[in-house]
Amino acid sequence: MRRMLALVRASWLTAASYRLNMLVSLVSLLMMVIPVYFVAGALQPVMADSIAGQGGEYFGFLLVGIITLMFLTTAVTSLPTALGSSIASGTFEALLGTRARLGEIVAGTVGYAFIWTAVRALLLLVVGLALGAPLMGERSPAALLILGLIILAYIPFGLLAAAGVLAFKTSGSLPAAVLTVSGLLGGVYYPTQVIPSWLQDLSMAVPLTYGLRALRAVVLEGGSLRASAPDLAVLSGFALALFGLSLYVFTLAVRHAKGSGTLAQY
Amino acid sequence: MSVVAPGAHTVSPAARIPLAGEAIHLAGLTKRFVVRRSLGAALRQPFLRQWSPALVDISCTIEDGEFFGLLGPNGAGKTTLFKVLATLVLPDGGSAAVGGYDVIRQANQVRKILAPVITDDRSLYWRLTARENLELYARLQDLPEEAGRRRVSELLDAVGLCDAGSKMVGAFSSGMKQRLLIARALVARPRILLLDEPTRSLDPLSARTFRAFLREEISGRQGCTVLLATHNTEEALELCGRVGVLHQGKLLAVGSAADLIRQMGSERYRLWTRCPVPGSLAALEREGVVDGIVSQPDAEGWTRTEMDVAGGLEGAAKVIDALGRAGASVGRFESVPRTLADLIEGIIDRRRRSSDA
Repeated sequence: MRRMLALVRASWLTAASYRLNMLVSLVSLLMMVIPVYFVAGALQPVMADSIAGQGGEYFGFLLVGIITLMFLTTAVTSLPTALGSSIASGTFEALLGTRARLGEIVAGTVGYAFIWTAVRALLLLVVGLALGAPLMGERSPAALLILGLIILAYIPFGLLAAAGVLAFKTSGSLPAAVLTVSGLLGGVYYPTQVIPSWLQDLSMAVPLTYGLRALRAVVLEGGSLRASAPDLAVLSGFALALFGLSLYVFTLAVRHAKGSGTLAQY
Repeated sequence: MSVVAPGAHTVSPAARIPLAGEAIHLAGLTKRFVVRRSLGAALRQPFLRQWSPALVDISCTIEDGEFFGLLGPNGAGKTTLFKVLATLVLPDGGSAAVGGYDVIRQANQVRKILAPVITDDRSLYWRLTARENLELYARLQDLPEEAGRRRVSELLDAVGLCDAGSKMVGAFSSGMKQRLLIARALVARPRILLLDEPTRSLDPLSARTFRAFLREEISGRQGCTVLLATHNTEEALELCGRVGVLHQGKLLAVGSAADLIRQMGSERYRLWTRCPVPGSLAALEREGVVDGIVSQPDAEGWTRTEMDVAGGLEGAAKVIDALGRAGASVGRFESVPRTLADLIEGIIDRRRRSSDA
């Protein structure tokens, strides 16, 4: 844990040295939420019926989807990106020469990305609440639990992409494909009921579908975790199965890279 | 110290357990890599695999506290050997033990006593200060907070970066970054240090200072076992008690640098005389003391002659005697430093002759 935190601290110090970059990132987030608020307001009459079971208020619906997608993007892209740049700069090889275990290095490398995403999400949430998004603050613990499960279900895609970086020096289009499919079919911008029926069938294979449905039921409707148990069970199943698979593939990739002598090459 | 042909020292992995005093023990270590083929070739013969040997049956022992040089041209296998020892590359055959720990089965133990010095300064966190870089590694190496801070201060002092500790590494010169890389490797007080061409990016003056630092501080005061990979023969001669010559993945010889040159049978000398001298050396050439004589006049009226002289200082004395008897006017007579190419050529030639015999 201490080693992991040391790496997170190093990432934070590095990021903090680019102050303007941090400021621009936060300002652009604020710039994004204002148009979303007005567009959501304009579309409210159209969307009201289809999101009746998920809060019924389109701005709140969108806000939950966008925040979740931010975490999803971090879960899927941060590891392959950080690993790639760490290998290219040589820091990865240097870290592997220490007593830190590979798991600690991997977690420490992406830890800051998750913290920064959380900060941005919090800011978005505060602005959203200020603009009147009907989020139920008292349901935060349950919401965090569901968000955690969603992240756990998507980190495996990041691990698989990172395995690609280790073994083939590219993550291919896996992260982009996962984010596109999840964004379109997982109910980020609209409920899955509004998409054609054959696509609805496909959306059942997307973990985000279950996660967002449960999350919105809790924070927008005030529903209990028990009421979302079926969705959470499927989401947990995805997380478990994908984690097992991705860890196995990642271990194989490390072994392959060590065998072929390409662990520290990019 | 003696020059050892690799075959003579080959020990089967099971036959010898590393002793307590051994820092590194290699037995029949082998590694090969797949040769990357063009897309066309891969499509024509998708299942064909071509291999390139990187390490071939390497057997060698390095004692605790030694300063050992690994001498070889680019592509000789030095970096691969270092990566095997640092547990970054898995060997295909044989065994490698560091401080008695196997590099495959006990990789975590190996990393506790061995530190590779990654000489690429990009591996530092450039946006962090020197102190922050070292403190990060102190935490990664499990040093308690206070002890880590003390160790970092000690190291900054030892590598002469005390005043630059709070400066961002990106603003450092190449020499300062090299010293910081060394300090980083020393954070956890490793018993064994692997240095892969550490002076590659340094100017001659910085390189000399750095070599003095290695000899006095790292090897002397800190008492580390140092493995230095270099293709600079002078550097190896200056620093290392023993050197191993690696060529095309094979360990051609191990011994003290001076012994290696001596046992190759001859040293190269350069001579300046007023007139050509090959005639005066004919007798010595027949006796086999002198060989490979090459003479050429230079612009200032002197003739420069180079020759291989066998028999060490005795042989050189015979040459001076012969020149004196012939009344040659000698302006200068000097030993020519052996290049790495000379050393490898000489060792290969010697091995060929001994196998012919």
